[in-house]
Amino acid sequence: MNDNGFGDYIRQRREELRTKDSDFSLRKVASAIDVEPSYLSKIERGDLPPPSEKAILALAKALSEDPDVLLALAGKVSTDLQQIIRKRPKLFAELIRELKDMPDHAVLRVVREVRDGNW
Amino acid sequence: MIELRRDSLVFSFPEVHPQAQLSVNFQRTLRIPDDGQEYPLPPGLGTFPLVHVDDFGKTVPSGWLEHGGVLLPMYQSEALWILFHSSYVDERGQYPFAVQVAAGKINAVTGETWSAGLERRPQNYVVAPQQPWLDGYCVRKGQIRQFVAMPLGAGYSAEEQISGKAEYGGLQISVFPMKAEEFKRRFPRWAKRRESVDSCLMLSEAADKSMGLAPGGLMKQEIFEDRFAFEDWDTTHSRCFVHIANSLVWRSITGANPPTPPPTSKEYTKYGYPWFDYYDDDSVPLPGADVLAQLQSVAELGKKKGDVPLPENESVSPSNVKVIRPRKSKEQVREGVF
Repeated sequence: MNDNGFGDYIRQRREELRTKDSDFSLRKVASAIDVEPSYLSKIERGDLPPPSEKAILALAKALSEDPDVLLALAGKVSTDLQQIIRKRPKLFAELIRELKDMPDHAVLRVVREVRDGNW
Repeated sequence: MIELRRDSLVFSFPEVHPQAQLSVNFQRTLRIPDDGQEYPLPPGLGTFPLVHVDDFGKTVPSGWLEHGGVLLPMYQSEALWILFHSSYVDERGQYPFAVQVAAGKINAVTGETWSAGLERRPQNYVVAPQQPWLDGYCVRKGQIRQFVAMPLGAGYSAEEQISGKAEYGGLQISVFPMKAEEFKRRFPRWAKRRESVDSCLMLSEAADKSMGLAPGGLMKQEIFEDRFAFEDWDTTHSRCFVHIANSLVWRSITGANPPTPPPTSKEYTKYGYPWFDYYDDDSVPLPGADVLAQLQSVAELGKKKGDVPLPENESVSPSNVKVIRPRKSKEQVREGVF
């Protein structure tokens, strides 16, 4: 993926949808996410960096895309995930590093053991 | 390692054998009449919900957190049975496990206080899959007294009758897999299943919230003698404390509703729903434990106390009794339709 991964992806996805539905024109999508069409156009072309988290979440909704995937393409991590990590930074940092090279099916089944205590 | 999956405790031992896995769940059921008569096996009416004690750390008694494990809800005087299901290992058969079961740290097979290791004489464990389920305390050969939930501290539980203390309540389960080399030797690939199988009162803080299991009515059930060599069992084991919360307490701990109360034996029998009888001609039943045989049932003790601890304890005459035999199918089905 080139440097404009986010812009390219958004434009490609929007154009695909536009072939079936005129609601996905640049103007209409910009209006749906409450930004100027020229601003969205510059983002799509890579003239401007990806927008704010709020705009990305709105874009994800408008284009029926996964918000976490779009945020990742924009080099961001959602605020709620950041909060989860900040709450227990050591634990989650360790966990994520541990899961780094695991295949998807293994990551999807993170095992939780029943804890034994003193009795 | 123990996981909680869909209200079952799944014991696995990847360090012993990659497919050695025993699933244990707790079945809701009828309380059989506690009237001195012997009854057949009541049905399973679905599993009790199970949750991690740790998930409700703020609302469970601190003693429960210390014990760890899981939590299930029971109404006072509700009954329960324990279902064991061991994994199938390709082309060999079901992996055998030795399972110790205690209630209030009183062993349900021997009546002795909990000890961490397996013992052969007297045998202080059951063997799965040979023993598909356990419904109560093994009081004599071919007969058990049903597990019935009573408030810990009320004096009815086997724990209180035997130890004089209301300290633990709940259920304790410890699982030992067969040694992998023994499993491979006894269950060779493509072996005929038959051959392979044949070869072988002081109140604690938690007392007011905990339920203990007391001996209820008499039921026909054999607890089978281990057919394997004692040395076949691995010393690796996993154990779990299963706390029993009174249903109202469950609601305040978890915010969820407990299952609806089961029907009475009278209602169930009136509609002609099935009871069950299990025959395993190849297995030898254990004689039962004297200390358990001497326990007073909930109804007997209630009478002495001038109390009526078991509502709707009328005798019934089950006429629709279905016979189940081992190894007829992969799954033992003992389900009610209520």
